[in-house]
Amino acid sequence: MEDAVRAIVAAGHPTLRGVLQQACRDAGATVIAATETAADTIDACRTESPSLLVLDLELPDSDGFRVLSSLEDGDRPGTVLVLSDRADGDRVLRALGLGARAYVTKAEGLRGLPDTIRRALSGERVIAPALEQDAVLALGRMARRAREGEEVAAELTGRERQVLQLLTDGRTMRQIGTRLGISPRTVETHVAKVYRKLGVRTRVQAVSKAATLGLVEL
Amino acid sequence: MRRETRARATPEPMSETSVPESEQRGVEPLGVVVIDPFPVVRAGLVATIDASAGLEVLGQAGSADEAVGVLDGVRGTRVVILVAMGLAGDKDAYWLIRALREHFPGHAILGLGSNADPHVVSRALFVGADGFLDKNTELEAFIDGIRGAGAEETVIAGPAAASVGQIAEGIERRRSVGLRLTKREREVLAVAAEGLTAREIAERLGVRERTVTTHLARIYGKLGVGNRLAALRLAARSGLVSIGPAE
Repeated sequence: MEDAVRAIVAAGHPTLRGVLQQACRDAGATVIAATETAADTIDACRTESPSLLVLDLELPDSDGFRVLSSLEDGDRPGTVLVLSDRADGDRVLRALGLGARAYVTKAEGLRGLPDTIRRALSGERVIAPALEQDAVLALGRMARRAREGEEVAAELTGRERQVLQLLTDGRTMRQIGTRLGISPRTVETHVAKVYRKLGVRTRVQAVSKAATLGLVEL
Repeated sequence: MRRETRARATPEPMSETSVPESEQRGVEPLGVVVIDPFPVVRAGLVATIDASAGLEVLGQAGSADEAVGVLDGVRGTRVVILVAMGLAGDKDAYWLIRALREHFPGHAILGLGSNADPHVVSRALFVGADGFLDKNTELEAFIDGIRGAGAEETVIAGPAAASVGQIAEGIERRRSVGLRLTKREREVLAVAAEGLTAREIAERLGVRERTVTTHLARIYGKLGVGNRLAALRLAARSGLVSIGPAE
């Protein structure tokens, strides 16, 4: 017989926490901890080394994604099931990238949860087909954005990148000039070139586009 | 697997045995171009695709150079191009996908592999593929994937469909490494990947040796590594450079 499955359940709301604990028990797992915050969940995973984590992505102190990204591979439970209020391709993709094996919505997925937990424990990925399709679409968008970002980045000179970052930080032309030791006039020339390369006309458009493409830090 | 591997359902699944209504009405079939270095595989793909309702092979090629020539002669607003990731050499599959993306923005490009690693799929998508078909896929899902790409869907079919998370991670890694470097720095790194000395890199790029060492030092700093080997390993792992012999 296999060793008992040791589970940690993490959810902000006490009722939800109770439902998740019961679902784990129904699936034959032993709940060794039930946590309320991301910080406690990270601690519990590190000290208890559970084999199953049932994680609410909407935790009160932080995004549940942070729990997964904070855990080193060795501390990450073998099976991670995430629950969320929301279901969109980007979130599903992110959860899968962080090692989740099952993604269910609170609206749809709570009823069948014990079965979902059992299937996930047996190594199956459990994601509604429609959600999985959304994740593939999100993957396509992500690849296009990444490619476009690199194309634009390849066009920008180092100086133009600096100017773009300072524009994003909300500096005036004069401040940018002072910071970089160049005249405001030269700054304007750089800005014009940056706008042209980004294909935009205003500062707001430039900042928004640059942020989407990952060229600047907000 | 079919529903799970498709980004969106196409309106009407076509039967393999009867002539579809669209063909009877004289609607143009979806054109497909097959690029695979292995003649037997290519012939099998061409025969299979031609036998599928609503699909028509418009051309085939065994190398990147041949492929560009074939595609220049192909008419049609949206053609599905299958590119085998096994294309090797100087103009490999990644080179070809990038080139085709640039020249034929309206066409759909699908990478084609067998039991491919997620990082191969990541890199194919990053350089411009609209999806990936694994040869280790049920025939029906494979053909459905081609139709999906024709309908502007992102398609991941076969074993790779189970790794969309890892594929996304790979793209993100590639992006974060790539964005840190300037175009010139990436050129230097690409040449360095051929194993040349700083002087040889300088000659190749037509700059002074001193300039190359400055670039390299800056690259190491940006990538947070201490030497060239570590920089190249990081760049190769992210798909930024191919490590291989010089031409």
